Amino acid sequence: MTAAPYVSLTGMSKSFVGVKALKDVSFDVRPGEVHALLGENGAGKSTLIKMMSGLYSPDAGTITVDGREVRFASTRDASAAGIATVYQELLLFPELTVAENVFLGNYPRRPGGWIDWSEVRTRTRALLDQLDTFDLDVDAKVLTLSVAQRQRVEIAKALSKNARILIMDEPTASLVEADVQRLMAVVRQLRERGVGIVYVSHRMPEIFALADRVTVLRDGGYVATRDIGEVDEAALVSMMVGRPIDSLFPKADAKIGDTVLEVKNLNHGRHVQDISFSLRRGEILGVAGLVGSGRTELALTLFGMTPATSGEIVLEGRTVAITSPRQARDLGIAYVPEDRGQQGLVKQMAIRKNVSMASIERLSAGIFIKAGEEAQRALDAVKRLSVRCRNIGQPVGELSGGNQQKVVIAKWLETNPKVLILDEPTRGVDVGAKAEIHTIMGELVKQGVAILMISSELPEVLGMSDRVLVISGGRLTGEIDRADATPERVGMAMTAHQSGEAA
Amino acid sequence: MSAIVDLPPTRPASAAQRPGFFQRLFADYGQELVVLAAIVALFVVVTMVNPRFISANNLTTIFSGNAYIAVAAIGMAMVIITGHIDVSVGALIGVLATISGTLAVAGYPVWIAWLAPVLVGMAVNACIGILVAYARIPSIVVTLGALSIMRGGLISVTGGTWITNLPPDFLIAQKSVFGLPVPLVFMVVLTVAAALWMRYSAFGRSLYAIGGNAEAALATGIPVERRTVAVFIIHGAFAGLATILFATQLQVIQSTVPPNLELTVITAAVIGGVSILGGSGTVIGSTLATILFATIGSALIFVNVSAYWLRAVIGLLILATVLADMLRRRGRI
Amino acid sequence: MIHRMNWKSLLRHETFLALLLVVVLIVLSFQSDRFFTVSNLLNQGRLMTEIGLIAIAMTFVIATGGIDLSVGSILGLAAILTGVFWQNIGLPLPLAAVAAIAVGTLAGFGNGLIITRFSVPPLIATLATLALYRGLAEGISQARSVRGYPDWFYVLGQGEVLGVPTQLWILAVAAIIASIILAYTRWGRTVYAIGSNEVASRFSGLSVEKTKLALYTASGFAAAVAGVIFVSRVSTTRSDMGTGIELDAITAVVLGGTSIFGGRGTIAGTMIGLCLIQALKNGLSLAGVKGDGTIMLIGAVLILAILASNLFERSGTR
Repeated sequence: MTAAPYVSLTGMSKSFVGVKALKDVSFDVRPGEVHALLGENGAGKSTLIKMMSGLYSPDAGTITVDGREVRFASTRDASAAGIATVYQELLLFPELTVAENVFLGNYPRRPGGWIDWSEVRTRTRALLDQLDTFDLDVDAKVLTLSVAQRQRVEIAKALSKNARILIMDEPTASLVEADVQRLMAVVRQLRERGVGIVYVSHRMPEIFALADRVTVLRDGGYVATRDIGEVDEAALVSMMVGRPIDSLFPKADAKIGDTVLEVKNLNHGRHVQDISFSLRRGEILGVAGLVGSGRTELALTLFGMTPATSGEIVLEGRTVAITSPRQARDLGIAYVPEDRGQQGLVKQMAIRKNVSMASIERLSAGIFIKAGEEAQRALDAVKRLSVRCRNIGQPVGELSGGNQQKVVIAKWLETNPKVLILDEPTRGVDVGAKAEIHTIMGELVKQGVAILMISSELPEVLGMSDRVLVISGGRLTGEIDRADATPERVGMAMTAHQSGEAA
Repeated sequence: MSAIVDLPPTRPASAAQRPGFFQRLFADYGQELVVLAAIVALFVVVTMVNPRFISANNLTTIFSGNAYIAVAAIGMAMVIITGHIDVSVGALIGVLATISGTLAVAGYPVWIAWLAPVLVGMAVNACIGILVAYARIPSIVVTLGALSIMRGGLISVTGGTWITNLPPDFLIAQKSVFGLPVPLVFMVVLTVAAALWMRYSAFGRSLYAIGGNAEAALATGIPVERRTVAVFIIHGAFAGLATILFATQLQVIQSTVPPNLELTVITAAVIGGVSILGGSGTVIGSTLATILFATIGSALIFVNVSAYWLRAVIGLLILATVLADMLRRRGRI
Repeated sequence: MIHRMNWKSLLRHETFLALLLVVVLIVLSFQSDRFFTVSNLLNQGRLMTEIGLIAIAMTFVIATGGIDLSVGSILGLAAILTGVFWQNIGLPLPLAAVAAIAVGTLAGFGNGLIITRFSVPPLIATLATLALYRGLAEGISQARSVRGYPDWFYVLGQGEVLGVPTQLWILAVAAIIASIILAYTRWGRTVYAIGSNEVASRFSGLSVEKTKLALYTASGFAAAVAGVIFVSRVSTTRSDMGTGIELDAITAVVLGGTSIFGGRGTIAGTMIGLCLIQALKNGLSLAGVKGDGTIMLIGAVLILAILASNLFERSGTR
């Protein structure tokens, strides 16, 4: 287990426009180990792995591969040295086939320089088979694949270059539980073959299940490297945050009032079939389900993005037809979307303008925007949700994930919603900000807002919800009270259609 | 902590059985097939109205007279697939034609008069490519500027005069090989060669990758800047080849090219199925679309539509094709 | 890769352009004493009105990340229809002009419908209608031109109000209203939001489709008004009027600092760009450069201005 490191980085530093992103960090990976890299967003993890994969060049520090000092001028150099990366935003080409994606830039050639396409396809098949992915057509265009399948293609691509070190940047962030298990099996198998793996993740259970060693970064600096046996979750979290965290899920007790929203036999396409439930003032209703189960589609239907084809939505006793997000907003329904960067924010725009975006009519006299009031409200929101930023004129794209999410929430709070739909409210958010967002949720329900929270993270659903709705195959397969909600019960309902049983 | 649900590997229905040949053909070449079907339908209908439509003479007009547009559209398709655009190609062809004709009249060997437009086209587009790739100016801005420079330059140098007295040897577009008109041969050979190159070469595939996701292409180790310059240079070469056909099809060279030639060339590429957003499409489609336009133009004359209404009808048909394509794509999703 | 929307860099681009304009004006006035005269400058204002009106609407369209290539054709169509409605159909001239503008506005609305209802990319949609609308103009006119308008009609394109060309007043009012809308109203905010991130705008409850529909309609309206002014200025109608004017307008807009990808741009910038182009055209022709040589220079200025502001931006804020 104590083989010599294949890659070691010593004293790495990097600044961007005068801001130190990484200060004097050292890190190494041995063949056949899983080395977890932990830290909050902005701690310097991405900067470190981008240097390892040749995307950034360090300002100071040395990289040695197999005992020789090297300098990576490009990703090509890094991959020649046996280092491959599976990025969080998968870097695939939707219009190209699986096989092409795997060997792009690295094709086997026939004499004469032409690509040997049959070799490309055969070798892709072999690589996918090694990853137990027998069900993937090598000629399928990548745009037809699921997220988990695309990830397999990325891993196959890394392996095609005979990677000795594989960097995985939050590989499970967008996977459902079953796919997470399959991915972990693949990681273990690669480790057995002697590949060294750098594993970046926010999810503690995975780290304890997989890692041999763990390194923690904080604020661009190195904190510690430990064998996984020497630490527990609490220790890791306090190393990351720099302070102890009292409670992971501060469930506030709010008074649950009258029914605000009642949904009866709602339908839209394959993903929302005959859904009925009710939501009360001051309640957090969790929605659990696998990705593709119809959770997000349900939210989009309630929000008017994909209007319902049949069924009834009753809001405060009045039957309403919701046909556009604008109308949903006017009725008091707010939606914090799953894809923050694409759907939630206009990243180039200032915090001020993002906060006012959904309530701009109220901040206008006629068609003119009341700039003073807009700024004042943005200032208040930033203070109330403790968004960490330079000023309200700062473009949102420059904030960390957690602070961006707070801006999206602030935008919707400006509309004084009665029903707040949160879709993956803490995805890609670091531990500290996650707790803050949970606290905000608690305060909102105390003020009488009704929250519908969709989450892939079962502990979050169980920890935060008063009741849990479970959706599978577009249908409601369970409605479980907080007291009865155990991982097993919810998990069973999540996969209910697999066994042909609707609960 | 989290619920561990042991599931058998999920088998997506789509990947379990391999799609059939026709399914795949339609998925990969949907738009090309639509255009081809439109051409065939048009031929059938117009021939029933007026059998002289398929006379050898008219076919030559349709296929040869517009071959230069098809050749230019091949390069344009490559540029658009890479995620860029070029609105200056019409002006470039005008400049190149004048250079070529001037050399021919001045008594240089014809091969020099033919080679010059290709080389100059590559040089001009190398500059455009460098501005796009390294100075990071959006291609539409660079080529908009280049359009003004070349259009203005051409007229102020030539003063709008025509080049006449072209040596007969020079007029290659009016010759035939194996009984086939040279422009037709050019069009077919270049289209097939370019299609194979785009489908099977590493270079061609990398263009799709760059157009699909330039940042990811860079991270994959594709030299995005160099490829961008290269694709503009190749496009310049095709513009040069198109110029040879354009400059030699008549006995004179006008110093004004057909108005909006660049828009015709772009439209051909796009109607042929090249996504304006980059990353998909084929050069077969752009050539077929050029033939479609030519067929429409000729068909309107044969069914006695007034020449004045020609462009309106063509515009309407382009619009119909675009809308049909959008509906087809929406149906697929 | 995040492109910053930064007021400082925006101002820098406009300041840079304004300085360039001043330098050009000074140089040109030394080149020819006929350049810096009130009558010449006012006359230049007359010549740039048509492009200017179109460029104002185009600034909004490009700021949403769209483009409208069909404006030249709409201009031609409106010009032809003015003549046809008046001479062939026999409408009174004011009514004929209004009807022609209405058709042009409808043409713009058609663009908007194709773009929003069928989600056709604007470049392709307006490329198709460029051919269609020009074709309609040709078909309707049958290559005949209409002349002999009553004298009062020429007030619009050749007359003066308070010593300033009539159409320059129209351009000035349009520019002021447009810049207020873009800078201070929620409509303007919506335009920038759509141009920066259309999906997020829709998810924030902004009326993306309605806004775009309104903008392409406005673009058609502006082009049609420009068409009527054009007829009044040159005393005749021909179906090829306005050919290529879309490229002139886009050049003015982009030169003025509007990002071709959307999300930023100002009317002031567009107006400076427009003046710069017109000053160059005029000054050079006074200095003896042939008309077509000036087109060359405008192309070069466009590329160099964007290149320079790109370099500034990179060295400044990064």
